[in-house]
Parts: sequence; structure tokens; C-alpha cells
Amino acid sequence: MANLGKARIKAKAKKGIVTVKAMAKHPMLSYQEAKKAKKKADFITHIMATVGGKAVFEVSTSQFLSKNPYLKFQFAGEKGQELELSMATLLGEKKSFKAKIK
Amino acid sequence: MNRRNFLGLGLGVAAVAMVPMSLSAVDFRATKPVAWTATKVDAAIKELYGTTATTESGVKLKAPDIAENGAVIPVSVSSDLAGKTVTIFQDANPEATVAVFTVPTGGIIDYSIRIKMQKTGTVTAIVEVDGKLHSASKLVKVTKGGCGG
Repeated sequence: MANLGKARIKAKAKKGIVTVKAMAKHPMLSYQEAKKAKKKADFITHIMATVGGKAVFEVSTSQFLSKNPYLKFQFAGEKGQELELSMATLLGEKKSFKAKIK
Repeated sequence: MNRRNFLGLGLGVAAVAMVPMSLSAVDFRATKPVAWTATKVDAAIKELYGTTATTESGVKLKAPDIAENGAVIPVSVSSDLAGKTVTIFQDANPEATVAVFTVPTGGIIDYSIRIKMQKTGTVTAIVEVDGKLHSASKLVKVTKGGCGG
């Protein structure tokens, strides 16, 4: 069961501050919704962003994020670095995505 | 000190030594499992931080007054405080906790996220600074539920 799809990441640097907009593809089935759809509940539980091995953003999430969750966050960084966004879901799926900071 | 006590002591030290290893990646679902099943906002706050005493200042919470679609409610939290964690709660869904952000050292607190709410409720954002809680809350009217309701 692969609920976790591709993610779209945009990272832009301006005056030393990087703004990241990311959208993950995931149905984010809460327990209630899953019961109705007769599916297993599944949602993203943990998202972490790192640059050069250093954590710049981290969130533990629940089932009340919207479907295909969208995130926006900022951190101090420079152009040309590589951002890695990793996600984990309730059913144990793990994926990471890479994007260059522009 | 007999041998049994000594062994127990050693285990305790080993457990303490393990803690700093996980500091850079705190999965609050693993460390505070109860907070995610708490049905009341206060109970969830207490579970996460050990206190419910909050100051209503220093936190900016942006959310719509009326959400036509409860499935997609944009919420953003920003703050100039040097917070360690940022949490978003609401009281419309069966469980209260929505997301717990861990702010890295020198991190900028400016997070936007989209959440879903079953019915009209209050969204609460909390920024933790050195064990003190700063909060902001806002009532969001939901005209159409987003949790399959």
C-alpha cells in the first residue's frame, strides 16, 4: 500500500532566508474517514527537513492535516544548497525528497 | 551497595545517555503517544508540556473567520519568540492535537499548514519558550465539515 506519493518542493533563498513551500501527496485518512471508506487509517506522522545533515524543520503531525498536506516554513540558508525532506507515515512508509535551493 | 542495586544504577545511566542522541529528531508521536489521543485541548497541552498555564502574547495565529470547506483550512503561526516547540490544537475534531513543530536552534517560527476541521471550533497555537507557554487562539466557523462529516 503506497499511499505516500510524490512531493512538490519549492525552496527559494532571499537575503539568507530560505522559504520552502512543499506539498506532499497523501490521502491523510483519519480514523473516522477510514472507517467510512472501509480502509485502513493512514496519515503522515513525521516530516523533517535537513540541509547538509542539519535539521532545519521538523514536525510531528496527526490525522487532521488536510489531504495532500501543504507546508510552508523558513530557515536561514543559502542558495545552491540541497534540501532533503523526509516523511514517515503511520503505516511505516518512509520517503525522502530532494530539492535544490534556488 | 549490593550487586543488584549496582546493576540497576548502570541501566539508569545507560538510559540517560541515550537521550541526547535523539535530540536532533524528536518524534512526538513516539515520545508523547498519549497527547495524540487526548480529546480535550487542555488535556493535550498538559500531556505535552506538563502545564496548562499560558500567556496570551507573542504569538500570531492566522486562520480564516469562516471556512467554507472544513477539509482545507489554512493556518499559519508566526512568532518572534525564541521558541523550542510550536503546537497547533483545535477542539472540533475527536482528538485535539494537530501538529507539533520542533524548532531547530536559531530557527524561524513562521509555519503555514492546512488542517481539516469537522465543525466550528477554536484553533489554538502554542509556542513554548523555556518551559513557558505563549498562546493565541481563534474561532473558525466551519460551514461544511471536513472529517467526512
